[in-house]
Amino acid sequence: MNYQIEKKDLPALLQQWMQIAQVFAPVKVENFTQFKILSNTNELVLNGPLNTRYPPKSLFLPQSEVLLKYQDRDFTTTTLDKQQRIIFGIRPCDAHAVTLLDTVFDDQDNPDPYWKTRREQTTLVGLGCNEPRETCFCTTVGSGPFDKLGLDILITSLDDVYTLEVITEKGAQLVADLPSLKDDNQQQMLEVQDRALDYLHPAFECEGIKEKLYNIFESEYWQQVSQSCLGCGVCTFLCPTCFCFDIVDETQRGERVRNWDTCMFRIYSQEASGHNPRPTRSERTRQRIMHKYAYWLDQIEQIGCTGCGRCIHYCPVGIDIREMIGNARVWREA
Amino acid sequence: MHNHNHNPYEPMPMHIARAYYESNDHSLKTLELVFDRAADREQFFSSYNPGQFCQLSIFGKGEAPFGIASAAWEGDFVRFTIQKMGTFTQAVHRMKAGDCIGMRGPLGNGFPIDLWHGKNLVIIGGGCAFSTLYALTKHIQHPQNRPDFNELIVIYGARNSGLCMYKNDILSWHERTDLEIHQAIDIPEDDWLHHVGYVPDVVREVAPSAENAVAVVCGPPIMTKFTLPALTDLNFPPEAIFTSLEKRMKCGLGKCGRCNIGSKYICKDGPVFSLAELESLPADI
Amino acid sequence: MSEIQTLIRDEAVRLLEAHLVDVVVGFKAGTTPLHPQPAFVTNVQEAQNLLMDGFCQNNLATYLTRLPKEQKIGLVARGCETRAAHALVVENQHARDRLYLIGIPCQGILSWRKIEAEVGEDVLSAEETGKTVFIKTRNGNFKLNRQDFIHDTCLHCQHPDPVSPDIMLGDPSPITVPESSDQLVQGFAILKPSERYAYFSQEAERCIRCYACREACPMCYCTECFVDHTSPRWAESMISPSGTHAWHIIRAFHQTGRCVSCGACERACPMDIKMTYLTDKLNLDMRQEYGFEVGMDDASQPPFAAFSLDDKDQFVS
Repeated sequence: MNYQIEKKDLPALLQQWMQIAQVFAPVKVENFTQFKILSNTNELVLNGPLNTRYPPKSLFLPQSEVLLKYQDRDFTTTTLDKQQRIIFGIRPCDAHAVTLLDTVFDDQDNPDPYWKTRREQTTLVGLGCNEPRETCFCTTVGSGPFDKLGLDILITSLDDVYTLEVITEKGAQLVADLPSLKDDNQQQMLEVQDRALDYLHPAFECEGIKEKLYNIFESEYWQQVSQSCLGCGVCTFLCPTCFCFDIVDETQRGERVRNWDTCMFRIYSQEASGHNPRPTRSERTRQRIMHKYAYWLDQIEQIGCTGCGRCIHYCPVGIDIREMIGNARVWREA
Repeated sequence: MHNHNHNPYEPMPMHIARAYYESNDHSLKTLELVFDRAADREQFFSSYNPGQFCQLSIFGKGEAPFGIASAAWEGDFVRFTIQKMGTFTQAVHRMKAGDCIGMRGPLGNGFPIDLWHGKNLVIIGGGCAFSTLYALTKHIQHPQNRPDFNELIVIYGARNSGLCMYKNDILSWHERTDLEIHQAIDIPEDDWLHHVGYVPDVVREVAPSAENAVAVVCGPPIMTKFTLPALTDLNFPPEAIFTSLEKRMKCGLGKCGRCNIGSKYICKDGPVFSLAELESLPADI
Repeated sequence: MSEIQTLIRDEAVRLLEAHLVDVVVGFKAGTTPLHPQPAFVTNVQEAQNLLMDGFCQNNLATYLTRLPKEQKIGLVARGCETRAAHALVVENQHARDRLYLIGIPCQGILSWRKIEAEVGEDVLSAEETGKTVFIKTRNGNFKLNRQDFIHDTCLHCQHPDPVSPDIMLGDPSPITVPESSDQLVQGFAILKPSERYAYFSQEAERCIRCYACREACPMCYCTECFVDHTSPRWAESMISPSGTHAWHIIRAFHQTGRCVSCGACERACPMDIKMTYLTDKLNLDMRQEYGFEVGMDDASQPPFAAFSLDDKDQFVS
């Protein structure tokens, strides 16, 4: 079943949802947007920048999460509140990324209770991208501006109307009272979704990328591409598929905390003996690229990148992952 | 097998039943831990096999991974031998019998013992990395397990006799008929009756046959680096050589990303890998 | 192509052919119009890629501590970059005789954030001509007044032209040196502590501890940063007011008398956090109390990094 709603009626729908759940939506922060809990529908920003800078993966894997509190030898594990949540306005690339992270955190062997609880309590209402940006390359890596993977509902923005495609049972429950999608709007919706693809061009060829990267693992290529890299954490922290974390005991608080970490920092792989398997930015850049475009493929046969473009837009030195992969493909030893 | 309501980041409360130094210089200390909760103990021993490790946890100091140095049949305790290196291990070394400590485990894949039934085993260890090989040897020595394997050769080298772990037990191995023990130290000492030399050289000297055999190597990187070619020269194929890797770890669950080599996590897909598997992984160690 | 670009390329070729340098560090075109990339040119062909325009937003001196010390480095350097280079020479991070400063004038770095906010969508092409910046987007053409889109730090730059370069390319900048940031700093300083703290907290709240500010800064080069110490724990690594405030405040203090006010930190920050007001205040204190300004020569030690027997010691009784 698919539905529609007049744009002017969206605030009322959101208010309904705010009665039963915490609704996270993009709100204005300085000159950009970030997912925060709506306390007032006026805060919602839907026609600002296409995507938030800080990725919504933080809503499932907070950047800092207290795993447990301890005092001397006793401890209490953090229990998460039973809280229904709706993430409204998440872009398909980011929702697709959440499903990739599910394979890490919601696995067979040791499912992560913090991740699982949040996932179970959350409905993802996605907003497709009518006009992807110059830095978007979702279709190159298996996602797309109206990709449904990971979403419970997909919204498409038309002139005066939002269409709502229901994808899961969880999503159906939220929109059951809305008017059904009319045929002419359905037609328009399909056209808009189709036209969005015109903005996206293949950034590089994915076929055989893993093999090529393994081939050049020992080559000078990585030294070259990592020269300008500053070794900060912008790309990894803004990335919706990066998930590496550190666990540290903060003694002044008595808390064992999990924090996002990054393979781009030198101490990430530093061992107590003094040995560091990735001593220079060359090895660290290689790790980042290999992880996304080779190791993820080995592990779950999917590329670990959804083409959101944040790393391209916010890298302080303008490093472009599309350029890195493109050049890797054609790299030949001198 | 795995309790899905269980929070895998929660350490199990343990107590130190025994704590004693292995080495004269007090750099190596063995702890034998017992479970505070019966359910934890049952869960642990229902899935433990040698080669696995645990994350030991001290609140305020953090966690660190250590190979398990005991076989299940030895008793309701879990043994670790810990070398004093950094903040965490220094804190462990200050602990004594009666103190509590946290433990998460067993983690990792352990030695693929089931694949080794009917084979000759060559167990080669150096330094404190011998601890999991000690667990493996103890496991095999049990009368119920021993018939599953053919000949057993153990080669164990330490820098000097003082640094040799599990001295009394290993001394008794020289009298056993179910295994052939070769101990080695790096430089000669008075009263030392066994090999003198680096482990890779002792391996060449002992020259174990590769026929129907499997070799397991655990030691400091430099020892492993030279032992693997020695085994290859003795015609051990890469599928029949196993080693246990170490890398900086945090979660031990294959989630935090830190300990990867290529697409494998040492904490989850390892720490035990065959040489054949390692050769297919990128050189990221 | 702009004249300065030709001059830079020619000079790079000259230096490389004469083996006066092993590498020329400059900028080249990036994949998006507003983001040129740092370039490391080691041969004459690559030298033809060198570029210089108002979008070159990094302080290239940060690479002096990342390249091997034995390398002879030619650095394409504007005012702040030369000052950072001199400061690094004073701190023994690179030998002066293995550094060749290719001085170029600067009219202020353009803020891609301000431009994007103005035009409202992705920029397809950007061209600077004198006082104008021409921007083309999918749906529009814009003619912007350059002065309105300069990065905030550059609006108060006291040294736009290179300080003691080995060669000066082009003419000194036509702009008159703008008003210093001192008044702004004083204006902030007279606020009540609670108001100042409220502003600081508001800015710091967005911080995601990515350390882009630290890595972009030429003067932050410690192999082990204080944030990575666990004992003593100077700053907790989690996202918390305690940890984040400690990060910003301690880093600012470590920059006292060392910061060249280039603003690379703010430009690198993905969360648009303001932070130069902290170091501007500390630099003002340095000028007032010690008569010291960093990076103006190759010898003067920053007061907080040096000790001499005739230092004032009124604070020790």
